[in-house]
Amino acid sequence: MSKRLKLTDILVTIVISTGFGILYKIWGPLYYAVKPLGLHIDQLIYGMWFMAATAAFLIIRKPGVALLAEVAASSGEFLMGSEFGLEVLLYGIVQGLFAELLLMAFRYKRYDLLAVSLAGISSCLGSLILDFYKGYIGDLSTWNLILYIGFRLIGTILFTGVFAIAIVKALEATGVTNLVRSSSRKDFESLDQ
Amino acid sequence: MHTAFKKRWLHKINPALKLFTLTFLFIFAVTIHHLNFMITFTLTVSILFFFCTGQPYKHILLFLLPFLFVFFSTAVSMILFGKGETTLFKWGLVHVTEESLYRGLHLGCRALVFAMMGITFVLTTKPVQLFYSLMQQLKLQPKYAYSFMAAIRLIPIMFEELQTIRDAQKVRGVQTRKGISSLIKSIKSLPIPLLSQSIRRAFRIAVAMEAKRFNSSKERTFYYKIRFSRYDLLFIGYFVLSISGAYIIAMEFPLFPIKDVRN
Repeated sequence: MSKRLKLTDILVTIVISTGFGILYKIWGPLYYAVKPLGLHIDQLIYGMWFMAATAAFLIIRKPGVALLAEVAASSGEFLMGSEFGLEVLLYGIVQGLFAELLLMAFRYKRYDLLAVSLAGISSCLGSLILDFYKGYIGDLSTWNLILYIGFRLIGTILFTGVFAIAIVKALEATGVTNLVRSSSRKDFESLDQ
Repeated sequence: MHTAFKKRWLHKINPALKLFTLTFLFIFAVTIHHLNFMITFTLTVSILFFFCTGQPYKHILLFLLPFLFVFFSTAVSMILFGKGETTLFKWGLVHVTEESLYRGLHLGCRALVFAMMGITFVLTTKPVQLFYSLMQQLKLQPKYAYSFMAAIRLIPIMFEELQTIRDAQKVRGVQTRKGISSLIKSIKSLPIPLLSQSIRRAFRIAVAMEAKRFNSSKERTFYYKIRFSRYDLLFIGYFVLSISGAYIIAMEFPLFPIKDVRN
């Protein structure tokens, strides 16, 4: 019942996130391929990069998992030779931290669509702050900036909320999540009877 | 990413120090708003990328291709849609100004620098040595470091499994039909088995590690001892000298008549 991360939790989180890291690595060229179309269509698929945090949290459900997952996924992407280079590490840390803070605000007790979508939006906010300094997005034309942020938000909710929950629901059906979720007190009490 | 390469001095630098230095340079690069300095700074990093990774030039040029693509696509959206006063070209929503052109070039250089720093690090550092170094120099807890190393080992196995699942689906005659519902089905049919298999494997590894009394105590011994050497000084010295040189050249011989790209 311990809320601290055990070796199993850490290993499982990092392995899941490395899987996401592979996905992120494939996502990079895709992102840059749709980018030159202009009008920020690329931002609709940006939410994928926040997904490791919420998906891992939905599976392990402990404090620290969201942050660790984003750091692991981004360093996996980095070590596979990302086109973004060192940038992914910094973005990963900030996005994970922002998702973690929001889940902490819910005291790690909500695992529903609203909570994970908000965690994703929080990550999105973190990435926008970095973009503001690094990508000068404040210097885009106003209509263009609104499009940029709007598309990124839509993509975020889709990936970190809807898709993450769908994937974890499907995983729960396979029974594999029972391995990593510590059995609840209710389960033990039912044994006593 | 280990192809045939020669070991150069960059391979002998302490991995934690290398990561720390490059992270510092990353933050430093974000504070550069001067286009001319950004260009000369890009040169200092590209010298390491081109001549010091020990990779054959064929590979270097292959790595460069996606980077140029990143440079182009990062620059273009700022050039076409950025704010600015001095109009160079206008067509519908597209509004190219002198300011947005320079800002776009600046952002492109920035993306290029980050990409080259990243790939230079990856090409000259073995992941295992990096995590050993993080444990020894930065006191990263062994349970995190070993989990990372185990996960990296699992990457090729994951790819193999992906192929197996695909083959299995082909053998069972799973056919892809058109339509949104079958698209969602096919999207679900790959990551779910892959993820569940990975979770099972990670769980088994963790159980095995705990059974063998793996612990995170501080007084542990290490198979690899990662130390510092004179190459570390050379590495830091290179950046101190080349960046100062880059700054002087940028100030004395400016390519573009612009100081701060934010204005």
